[in-house]
Amino acid sequence: MTDKGKVTCRDTTWLVSDARDRPLTESERASLADHIAECSLCQGASKQFGALFREVGAYLKGEAPDTEA
Amino acid sequence: MAVAALLLTKEIARYRPALYRLALLQIRDKAAADDATQETLLAALEGIERFRGEASVKTWLFAILRHKVVDVLRQRGRFVPPPSEDLNAELDITGFDTLFDAEDCWAAPKNVWANPETVVERKAFFKVLEACLTRLPARTARAFLMREWLDFAPGEISSDLDVSPGNLRVLLYRARMQLRTCLDVGWDRA
Repeated sequence: MTDKGKVTCRDTTWLVSDARDRPLTESERASLADHIAECSLCQGASKQFGALFREVGAYLKGEAPDTEA
Repeated sequence: MAVAALLLTKEIARYRPALYRLALLQIRDKAAADDATQETLLAALEGIERFRGEASVKTWLFAILRHKVVDVLRQRGRFVPPPSEDLNAELDITGFDTLFDAEDCWAAPKNVWANPETVVERKAFFKVLEACLTRLPARTARAFLMREWLDFAPGEISSDLDVSPGNLRVLLYRARMQLRTCLDVGWDRA
């Protein structure tokens, strides 16, 4: 891929957020996947985002345990 | 049968605080959140025969609440932000700058959160998550929950909040980044 498609870690956080609201374009998806594949920091961050979205979803569906004592 | 219905009635009432907290996070008006909670409990009691036990009582109630809250938002029309909250401040995402270095690479390693597995851990995790959600500014929280909970299209949220699509994108980004940071700080000590 060309340098034009290269994205920074910060760019990937925007793409991860945008992907919740609209389908990413083919080239955005490729840039995101390529960056994450090569960047261990982003692998950690993307697992955190994945866990965040999963647990927020569980909370909003009432699948989370009660938080009161 | 009567005993089962009585037990179910008691269990339904037990979730009132959890329903109210979520309603309040979304609607940001105590009286309206209380009404939505009350209507949810009444609808559940009226429809108690329809509860099949396939879902848990709690998820069943949360699904009813979701419909009630959508109705409330549609009836109330556009969001009126609290006067203390300034859109420009909510759009200011320079606070995340310290997370990145000069090349916009993450400045510190990201530990994967220990998966909250036991009942006690999950309880603690969701306590932190709820606190993090409560700390979001009203408009940011409203945008985030309309999107992630009520599944409104971004266009509908923009017009509800009276912000441009570009600004909505920033609000949603900020909510997600802030929640990630909040959980990073609040949970990852375990």
